[in-house]
Amino acid sequence: MAAPAQVKSTKAAAAGATDDSGEDALYPIAVLIDELRNEDVQLRLNSIKKLSTIALALGAERTRGELLPFLTDTIYDEDEVLLALAEQLGTFTALVGGSDYVYCLLPPLESLSTVEETVVREKAVDSLRQIAEQHSPENLEKYFVPMIKRLSQGDWFTSRTSACGLYAVAYPRLSAPLKAELRKLFCVLCTDDTPMVRRAAAAKLGEFAKVIEQEFLKSDLIPQFFTLAQDEQDSVRLLAVEACASIAGLLPKDEIEKRLVPSLKSAVEDRSWRVRYMVADKLAELQAALGPELSKTELVPAYQSLLRDGEAEVRTAAAGKLKDFCNSLPTEGREQIILTNIIPCVKELVNDTSQHVKAALATVIMGLAPVLGNEKTVEHLLPLFLTMLKDEVPEVRLNIISNLESVNNVIGVRQLSQSLLPAIIELAEDGKWRVRLAIIEYMPLLASQLGAEFFEEKLTALCLAWLVDSVHAIRDAATKNLRRLVEKFGLEWAKQTVIPKITELSRAQSYLHRLICLQCIRNLADVVGKDASMKLLLPILMTLAVDPVPNVRFNVAKTLREVAPTLDEGARANQVKQALQKLKEDQDQDVVHFADQALHTIY
Amino acid sequence: MSGHQDLDRWIEQLRQCEPISEPDVKSLCAKAREILVEEGNVQRVDAPVTICGDIHGQFYDLKELFKIGGDVPETNYLFMGDFVDRGYYSVETFLLLLAYKVRYPDRITLIRGNHESRQITQVYGFYDECVRKYGGVNVWRYCTEIFDYLALAALIDGKIFCVHGGLSPSIQSLDQIRMIDRKQEVPHDGPMCDLLWSDPEDANDGWGISPRGAGYLFGSDVAQKFNEDNQIELICRAHQLVMEGFKWHFNETVLTVWSAPNYCYRCGNVAAILELNDKLGRNFIIFEAAPHDLRTGPTKKPQPEYFL
Repeated sequence: MAAPAQVKSTKAAAAGATDDSGEDALYPIAVLIDELRNEDVQLRLNSIKKLSTIALALGAERTRGELLPFLTDTIYDEDEVLLALAEQLGTFTALVGGSDYVYCLLPPLESLSTVEETVVREKAVDSLRQIAEQHSPENLEKYFVPMIKRLSQGDWFTSRTSACGLYAVAYPRLSAPLKAELRKLFCVLCTDDTPMVRRAAAAKLGEFAKVIEQEFLKSDLIPQFFTLAQDEQDSVRLLAVEACASIAGLLPKDEIEKRLVPSLKSAVEDRSWRVRYMVADKLAELQAALGPELSKTELVPAYQSLLRDGEAEVRTAAAGKLKDFCNSLPTEGREQIILTNIIPCVKELVNDTSQHVKAALATVIMGLAPVLGNEKTVEHLLPLFLTMLKDEVPEVRLNIISNLESVNNVIGVRQLSQSLLPAIIELAEDGKWRVRLAIIEYMPLLASQLGAEFFEEKLTALCLAWLVDSVHAIRDAATKNLRRLVEKFGLEWAKQTVIPKITELSRAQSYLHRLICLQCIRNLADVVGKDASMKLLLPILMTLAVDPVPNVRFNVAKTLREVAPTLDEGARANQVKQALQKLKEDQDQDVVHFADQALHTIY
Repeated sequence: MSGHQDLDRWIEQLRQCEPISEPDVKSLCAKAREILVEEGNVQRVDAPVTICGDIHGQFYDLKELFKIGGDVPETNYLFMGDFVDRGYYSVETFLLLLAYKVRYPDRITLIRGNHESRQITQVYGFYDECVRKYGGVNVWRYCTEIFDYLALAALIDGKIFCVHGGLSPSIQSLDQIRMIDRKQEVPHDGPMCDLLWSDPEDANDGWGISPRGAGYLFGSDVAQKFNEDNQIELICRAHQLVMEGFKWHFNETVLTVWSAPNYCYRCGNVAAILELNDKLGRNFIIFEAAPHDLRTGPTKKPQPEYFL
């Protein structure tokens, strides 16, 4: 990495002129520049990241004359350094003297756009796109366009790949002859020998289409789109699907029907599942671009075929789009389409062989309820929900339960309760603790949907049983759940249901259960209010303060520290203080530590 | 209260699976030595306590263990050695356990396993991991020096004898273990070696040659006599992979506990811990390896695009 002589001399010059305070300020900069050439990658990287400081100190003129040529030479560095450099240069316009000089940044970025490492190249192209708009029209034609041409005609695929990303940003502000030239060059890139270049062209086709004039869109770009959509490489074809959505947005309905729909149809039937997957994945974009009429006539059959695809990956992607797709259908006739075309496919998916398909479906299927309304939901969807609630895969059941809210507004959860309860109870006792954890988190939601009475009857026992689960994480979650339930059901419920359980836990055999009792108190003290805290919770704390196990005693100290604000002044000054002072004299050093900490916090 | 700040910071950092700096390791090990040197060869432990077996650098599974059993200091723990080697995160695993030990010496007990040794760690990964993560051997040196200070066994409420491997023909009484000068590298033979290397043998009585090349195989009669002579109820040990996480031997006089789920990330076994309550009541908890999305494994470089 050879630095040009003038940069090399900076440090010496700055060091030699230490008596001059202005030059003195340059010394740290000289050090930074020196570090740009250091052996250690980390130092070079740090220096590159402070590049704007260096440029600011050097001033615009020296930045253009010395720093940029030097940087253009450093591109044989580690990828990490190059990446940082490519990013920095995108924000350099002011530092080289504003938009009149921004073209000076092109040479280093052009070099970076040709390197082997993809991330560096992409970052360089990003920066070039940023600074393109800062060029005056003259400089754009004089410097930027020639660079696009060089990159487009480069020997190595890396430069041609990068070129594809630059057309859309330059094109709008060019003169007609240059525009014509760029269109021609882009078409050449679309038929490049290297698949990577064709991929880049296909990926950028959509954005280029948006800035090109209608007439040329039809004459130049759409034929390229056809070619790319039929490319021998599926990785190119699948990118054409994305372009299809962008281009469709630019054309009137009859043009779309004539020019794009055939390509779309063949993509739905493509021999590569990755292309079909792309169609499923981009369904919402395609639907928006095609408009309501074509969506109905063209996309509905396509969607049906994707829902019945032979590849589970495609079915998973398609199933996941169910709610959005149906929601976006034109209101008129929507219900009929859903009932006659979509629901039959969905019925098959409910019993799919792949659990991923079913899990994806389970997260969105409830979303159809608001679209279909009460009566139709009960008739057509309810049986499907019930089947899925009994699915052998816990994730499927869980996804249904976690989306109950959308059904609740339409038919009410009670319609489901017959099947819901066995499903919840089974999940609540699942062997995998993460499944149990997930179901706990839905308890407050279920509580508000099912109402206190029903909840009390069926689910309270479960919530209390989790407090003594064998897994700590479940016991922990159970205490937080209890807090939310008490917030919902109120103090009387807490007094009748929760407090007796907590009292029972304070006498449990295992110290781990007594610790959970303390955690319940920590979670509940402020929700039950001062009165209940004083009367019901504080006595438990006082009993546990003399527990034989030190872990319980120091957790009493920790708990008192947290709940002290919810107790009344008198108790804080007497009982609590005495208890903590006694714990501070404990034989166990952890008890002493936490008691001391509590005393410090409270008093 | 002051003086815990460094430790609390280290614990926080290690819990994120980020190694602490070399000077911090040095200072942690110096503090650990002061505490461990005071412990007996047979460290006295009070119930309640949760007993754990081999961890072997499976950091994310250790975090899973804490989710199952509860965090330090709320839950008391006894780890029966083999913290390092095999897994990807021996450094973070051992240093986290050591930091807990220093911060809460009465809440956690660490005893020595056969992998807590200079020789073994040079072959099975801990040495290489230290060099890779710190660019030198100093951290390995600090840690292996601490290994020499770890207790050889523990005795819970005078009733449950915990040791990494098993018994030794040169040891009849606990007092004989207490006589050993433990502050040394694990020897190739003799009582100290046997405690860390031996295995129970279900098929034969008496003593047998161990296929491991160190320690012995001991039979049911040996265990029974040892327990009677020393008035203990149970020998609890680790050292051997058991697919079900724990395994009883010899009519419930010897117990193996194994706490590395999916050992070496491929054995497909479950792991176990044993919770002893205040009255030594037993509760085994089985657990599986931490799910994949909770691990931050070594980041894989994206595939070069010409393979697409």
